[in-house]
Amino acid sequence: MVNLTLHATASSPQVQADEKTGILVLSGESYPENSFDFYRPILSWVADFLERDRRSLTVEVRLTYLNTSSIKCMMDLLDAMEDAHQAGREVKLNWYYDQENDRALDLAEEFKEDLTLPFTIVPVPSEG
Amino acid sequence: MGDLHAIRQFLASEGILMSFHGPFRHGILEELGRALRKHLESESTRKPDTTDVFSVYIEAAQNVANYANRHNGGDPAGARFQQGVVVIGRQGDHHIVQCGNFILPADGPALLARLDHLSGLDAAALKTLFKERIRADVEPGAPGAGLGLIRMARIASRPLGYAIVPGEDGLDFFSLTVIL
Repeated sequence: MVNLTLHATASSPQVQADEKTGILVLSGESYPENSFDFYRPILSWVADFLERDRRSLTVEVRLTYLNTSSIKCMMDLLDAMEDAHQAGREVKLNWYYDQENDRALDLAEEFKEDLTLPFTIVPVPSEG
Repeated sequence: MGDLHAIRQFLASEGILMSFHGPFRHGILEELGRALRKHLESESTRKPDTTDVFSVYIEAAQNVANYANRHNGGDPAGARFQQGVVVIGRQGDHHIVQCGNFILPADGPALLARLDHLSGLDAAALKTLFKERIRADVEPGAPGAGLGLIRMARIASRPLGYAIVPGEDGLDFFSLTVIL
């Protein structure tokens, strides 16, 4: 098992997955040319981590924007976490959004509606 | 080329903030998106409204780019499919995003059927459909999730406007109008 690091581009987020701490952080924009190709290694990392041992997984989402195919990939990620949660694993999701942007809040809330895992929505003060 | 002053007057009278005609390649769409956001911020659009205009722009433009990518495989019309047009404007309190591209005539009926179906749905039904499609399997090799039109319909303040007209070289031209 290895860590996963992807550097941000104008349309894809920075990704930092730490095997030791069990923390996955996604931050930045998410409207890559091909979301499925972009998210595949992230989904694989999470699946491997959840299979490998019984430690807790924390996912931190700090995305300013998601296009619809990123939303679909995010749903796959959250469903994998939800399955683990249902199976008794400790998983946590912290979703950060710009407090001046209620569209970003709407999106987080729509995800949360269908899930029972610990899901915290955290407002963040706007940058300038 | 036409008279630039006349073009400027037309853009101003139509309330056009930004327009682009050319290849819908990812790098270009990124740059246009960045410019669009800056432009909206400078006219002090509220953040949720900026997000909405940006969302409609990205979904519409990526649909065109994805369509062109699917048809690039040896098709002589491949380059033509990549040539799209997008216009973003403002009329009164409403932003308007229009986007158009060439399509194969054979693809028209299914596209129109999807749009006709969406235009008959209210906000609750659109939300339900969006949630269903988020979890639906995507056909192998598909670049997108088929969610873009549903998201645009959810954001729009009026039903989506759309038309297919005869284009050039045996292709049709599809245009989409989204009033926010």
